[in-house]
Amino acid sequence: MSAVQLSRKEKMLMHCAPIREERVDERSLRMALHRARKTEVFAIQQNFDKAATALVQAIPIPQEITDWIPTDTFIAPTRRRWQKYAQNPAFLATGIAVLVITIIAIFQLVDRMNRFPGEPTARRLLTTASSTHAMMLDPVKTDAGALGDFLFMKHRLVHYDVPPEFAELKTLGCRVFDDEEGQRVAQVWVVEKKMQFFIFPAERDPKTGKAREFFGWRSIEQERWVGVVKEDKGVCFMATLRGSPKDLAPYVSKKKE
Amino acid sequence: MLADAAKAQEVFHATLREAAQLAANGEAPRDRLWFFRNARWRCLEAGEQGLQAEDVDLQQHELADSAPSQIDKLQPQELAIWISGAPDPQRTALALFYLDEFNYRDLLSVTELKPPELSKLLCDGRRQFQAWLDATFPAAQT
Repeated sequence: MSAVQLSRKEKMLMHCAPIREERVDERSLRMALHRARKTEVFAIQQNFDKAATALVQAIPIPQEITDWIPTDTFIAPTRRRWQKYAQNPAFLATGIAVLVITIIAIFQLVDRMNRFPGEPTARRLLTTASSTHAMMLDPVKTDAGALGDFLFMKHRLVHYDVPPEFAELKTLGCRVFDDEEGQRVAQVWVVEKKMQFFIFPAERDPKTGKAREFFGWRSIEQERWVGVVKEDKGVCFMATLRGSPKDLAPYVSKKKE
Repeated sequence: MLADAAKAQEVFHATLREAAQLAANGEAPRDRLWFFRNARWRCLEAGEQGLQAEDVDLQQHELADSAPSQIDKLQPQELAIWISGAPDPQRTALALFYLDEFNYRDLLSVTELKPPELSKLLCDGRRQFQAWLDATFPAAQT
């Protein structure tokens, strides 16, 4: 029984062990007593203390005093402050779990809010942009705003227009290709910041066949490439470059009609 | 603490009176152990007025299996006298510990002791009491 060796701290706590189990409300004390219970010394101490306490309890308390303060209300229970609860490992673990779940939920929510119809296609085209060289495109040197007519006249692509925000930029080249879903995509290379434009059909509702609309500019990011996408008349326009979202922000923030 | 019921009752009344006065002035003690702290200091003050225990190194014996049966033979007053004869802070530590109303933290707070100090005082107190028990009730009698 006494094979357990108690540390100095455990011995110190053992000597202060409360007589009643319910008074052991501190973790370090509880752990020390858990080990001490395996020793004979502690059993003798407990028997000693119980006998002494029984003797103390036998001391009569005058009626006058018990009338003022009932024996069971000698000490007001400790008010547990929130810091005490926060230190409890169970509450701590639960708190961390809730925090992590909340952060994930916020990320999911933000991610969902940023989603827009045609996002998968836009992401695919970002990959295309990262692997395209200017020489792969037919040289077309004009204002980007004039490309709408060019694409309509040469490729019969209706509403493949460059929005006013990017219309004044000078183009270097252009090509039209079919993506893996057989959609006609126009790709334009611009002089400024080696920017590229993609114009492609908006995502359609499979039941009604109608283009899924969304309002304003949406931004996407992928492997250090950023893009801003806008839908108009069933066609999406995406401007993309290698950099950060703030490189494109000045273009989409200016109002042009 | 005092081993004198009349003096203890005086301390109780004085403490209660002070608490009532503070409450009447809108300064009710916030400390939940205020009553015990106040009563302790009053007991120590009252104790200083009477006979003082000599500062001697008491004998210490290892706690014995037979201690409970030795304690059973005592009158409560005898234990009270023994505790009240101990020098403070050991007296406070033993009196409050065997009152069995406090948890570990409360005990440290009321006695104003550090954990190792409280531990040593209780440990020594038990052993000294065991030595006194052994002297009072020798082995042949138990």
